[in-house]
Amino acid sequence: MIRQDTLTRRYAYNDLTKNKGINAALLLIITMSAFLMATGSMVMERSVGSVDALFEQAKPPHFLQMHKGDYDPEVLADFASQRPEIASWLIEDMLGFDGAAISWQRPGTDQSGDFSASLIDNLFVTQNEDFDLLIGADGDIPRPSQGDVYVPVGYQQDFDLEVGDELQVRTDEGTSSLTVQGFVRDSQMASSLSSATRFVVSNEDFRDLAAAGGGNPEIIVEYRLTDSSQASQLQRDYESDVALPKNGQAVTYQMIRVINAFSDGLVALALVFVSGLLMIIALLSLRFVIRGTVEDEVREIGVMKAIGLPHRVISGLYLSKYRVMALLGCVVGGGLAIVAAQLLTRSVQVNYAVAPMGFLTFLVPVVALLVVYLLVVSICRGVLRSVRRVEVVGALVHGTTLDEKKSARRAKKLARRARKTNLAASGGDVNRRLAILDLKTEAGQWVLVPLVFALAAVLITLPTNLLTTFQSPRFVTYMGAPESDLRADLQFSTDVDGALEEVLRRMEGDDRLTEVRDFANLLFETNGEEGWENLRVEMGDYSTGTVAFVEGQAPGEGEIALSVLNAQQYDLEAGEAMPIRRSNDAMTEDVVVSGIYQDVTSGGLTAKMQGPATGDAVGYVIYADVVGDSDPTVLAQEYSDEYPAASVIPMEEYVQQTLSYITSAFFNAAVLAVIFGIGVALLITSLFLKLRLTRERNKMGVLMALGFSAREIGFQVRFKLLLTAGVGVLAGILMAATAGQWFVGAVVSLAGLGISSLNFIVNPWVVYLAYPLMLIAAAYVAVRALTLRLHTPDKSIWLRK
Amino acid sequence: MSNTSQPTLQCQGLTKTFSSTDPPTRVLNGIDLTVQNGEFLVVMGASGSGKSTLLYCISGMDRPTSGTITLQGRDLTALNDTEMSRVRLTQMGFIFQQSYFLQNLNIRDNILLPALKAAPDATNAAVDRVDTLMKRFGIAEVNHHGMTEVSGGQLQRASISRALASEPDVLFADEPTGALNSSMSTEVMDALSDVHASGTTLVMVTHDPACATRGDRVIYLRDGHLVDSRSMGTWTKTADSVRKDDLLSWLHELGF
Repeated sequence: MIRQDTLTRRYAYNDLTKNKGINAALLLIITMSAFLMATGSMVMERSVGSVDALFEQAKPPHFLQMHKGDYDPEVLADFASQRPEIASWLIEDMLGFDGAAISWQRPGTDQSGDFSASLIDNLFVTQNEDFDLLIGADGDIPRPSQGDVYVPVGYQQDFDLEVGDELQVRTDEGTSSLTVQGFVRDSQMASSLSSATRFVVSNEDFRDLAAAGGGNPEIIVEYRLTDSSQASQLQRDYESDVALPKNGQAVTYQMIRVINAFSDGLVALALVFVSGLLMIIALLSLRFVIRGTVEDEVREIGVMKAIGLPHRVISGLYLSKYRVMALLGCVVGGGLAIVAAQLLTRSVQVNYAVAPMGFLTFLVPVVALLVVYLLVVSICRGVLRSVRRVEVVGALVHGTTLDEKKSARRAKKLARRARKTNLAASGGDVNRRLAILDLKTEAGQWVLVPLVFALAAVLITLPTNLLTTFQSPRFVTYMGAPESDLRADLQFSTDVDGALEEVLRRMEGDDRLTEVRDFANLLFETNGEEGWENLRVEMGDYSTGTVAFVEGQAPGEGEIALSVLNAQQYDLEAGEAMPIRRSNDAMTEDVVVSGIYQDVTSGGLTAKMQGPATGDAVGYVIYADVVGDSDPTVLAQEYSDEYPAASVIPMEEYVQQTLSYITSAFFNAAVLAVIFGIGVALLITSLFLKLRLTRERNKMGVLMALGFSAREIGFQVRFKLLLTAGVGVLAGILMAATAGQWFVGAVVSLAGLGISSLNFIVNPWVVYLAYPLMLIAAAYVAVRALTLRLHTPDKSIWLRK
Repeated sequence: MSNTSQPTLQCQGLTKTFSSTDPPTRVLNGIDLTVQNGEFLVVMGASGSGKSTLLYCISGMDRPTSGTITLQGRDLTALNDTEMSRVRLTQMGFIFQQSYFLQNLNIRDNILLPALKAAPDATNAAVDRVDTLMKRFGIAEVNHHGMTEVSGGQLQRASISRALASEPDVLFADEPTGALNSSMSTEVMDALSDVHASGTTLVMVTHDPACATRGDRVIYLRDGHLVDSRSMGTWTKTADSVRKDDLLSWLHELGF
């Protein structure tokens, strides 16, 4: 006696091996979805694990405040002693050197270079004792000897450095040489979004570098708390104390975590997004195939019902095949995901730590794969419910899945449509007209094509739109800055005002430059919920309309413009008043919020005021436009060489470097999306056409008998396919530009970067020309390949059963 | 139209082997056949004897493995797919067992389709021809109906109209009454006899002796060989039953 489950297994096996092409296509797309979903979830788990692992070793501060210039250590000690929530604290002394002042050389070879390509601050520090430790490659805590240096692990990758290389730091007194003994991971500054990086030297070398001059001294005041959730309260207390040093950035533990997880989190999100879209395509395709199979095999189903098999047994036979496919797809996809996740998280494990394996390491991808499996099986089960509705007589006699009433309704509808045709009245090529008529009659069948191509278009367009937006020089409008060619930064130093005067004079007198605008970074305070809080304000001339505003306009006299996050923090809109005062000044004035702008720099918390760009500034920024054919890169280099106190770079490079890892993550996501999108479009088109050509075999045979050549019938198929695919691509691009933009904007604004509304800066040649052409080309390749079989020498096969 | 000085259709040494099976199947074995102008040739044989394959080969739908086929003196085996399609469009007509009509066109447009395709600049002439044919075969009143709104007999008469719409030299019919009841079969055979009477050359495959009696000549195939041929003379309604008896005894001798 053969058992039912044996029969079911045998049926599944036979069916899988019989329709190899279609089953392979379905299996591939299920595998791709499972692969991406599992990879995305594993990348997320591994990345978070890596960050957590490093944080455990390195013990980053719960709150830190950067400062340049004079400060009173006793005031700091006093502050800490009054707060029992502070478990420990330290002042880290740092010496910042410009990248161009640090070079490296490999002894015994002619290999050398410098760090001028890096725009971030290069800070020399000594190893801390209690917390905020810089961790070596093996998890050790390096304490370099005199003459040795430990270099940030990011520089090991960027500049290909090795242990034993000689680092030369140019000081006022000459060059200090240090030997690279290893590489360190930095929990505070590991993220590419960080504007600085740290080198570890011995106490002796640090003293020598400080004494030699040429570096910019800076401190970070750091605190570890008994309860990290009190970091924000500590920040408020700190900022409200006028005596404490605070002319630099303040950062909490939470911000460090978010920034560290950000770029790899983006990759994971992108993978999950692509997987989600692929899943939708897979489910649509499955639905199409299963419904078609039930219609094609309706007589067999009728026979099974006639001999007494219950519908759930019949459905079970079909479902068994799809269960096997879903399982196989998840297993293969999951296996490949292990490899892919390792590759994708290699850099985060190098920059942070190797994430330890735990229960979640296995649970997370299993859950992701289970979701894929359950989705596939439940869709299949849902579609196969139609087996219940198949009537024996209708199936055996008429070969239809519809009952008598529905059959009659469909026949009437078809007849109504047919009555309206009039081939003699309309002109044009007969083949084209037949193709359009076919599409109208069988729209329900063909709708899969535009749907899949629309989804594929969204899939490949959205990540690219994000990439080009963040890569565009116009993205500076999301960085609270005007569109310009050149940017010069003058950070706080003993004679920053003098340096500004010199650089400004030179720039204003330079014929190659125009629109020279300077802005001062000043420290103000405003009265928040918990008292007076720091407010970083950029003061200058905004009357020429240099910054883009999402609400309101540029500030005039007595007005202030706020960044999106500041406006949210203080719950202010344009037109409302806010009290401000200069730091260390009791005089308060009310200013009116003139407008709100987007800014991802400085944690998104900035403000702008109209006024002279002078007076007790912590730094200055100068923007300028280049005239004619002058090269901004050449000009930037010239000014940097002439004025070492000023960091002058082309604006395009400033945007690129600030966002390099974000754009790098988007780039990877965009490439992945294009590969999968085009691949899926090709796959589904092939699957769809194979099924359609099988179903339309008789009709094509009749047309051939009537005198239509294989070429003409192929034209009809190609016309229908390319028309529906084209409509889908168009719809997809529109969706990406509208709903897609809104959706991505909502996600980005929730990320707390400081962006409230994102308008894509699109590369039209890519998005509106290249991508649509690529998708249409994929459709064309598929339809060309599949219509080749029309050119058989024996046409009667299209007519015979 | 036909050149009366030579046979309409001729094939010599026709063989057909299908390579898709393992081992390959030889279906036709060196058939020599001539169809005269205006002749009504009937092809009979048991299932699997190669009747339909012969029809598809001589109509150019299938490529013979070897042998030649000429239509009005023109070698069809030398034509490429486009040229052969043109021949099927302008010089041949097809009637199938299943009335393969395009569901999204009404009856009239289905009939008009090959004629429009053959001469896209002569739409009016094509329309007039089609309307005449529809009247001739008694289906004018259903010209704007969909194919699901008419009977099987009406559909087959529409098939005949479609086959004649581009004024072909020869009409091929593959089991035209196979899916019809006896009264509809008679309707259809009457229509075909009418077509024959107007001078059209017909080649019909059938397994039904009642339909076969309408032919001028019947050939019998067995295992891909043309084993015998019988001249029937001109069909008349009154002589139908005598012809049928005669045919049946001949078929019986052949083992049908």
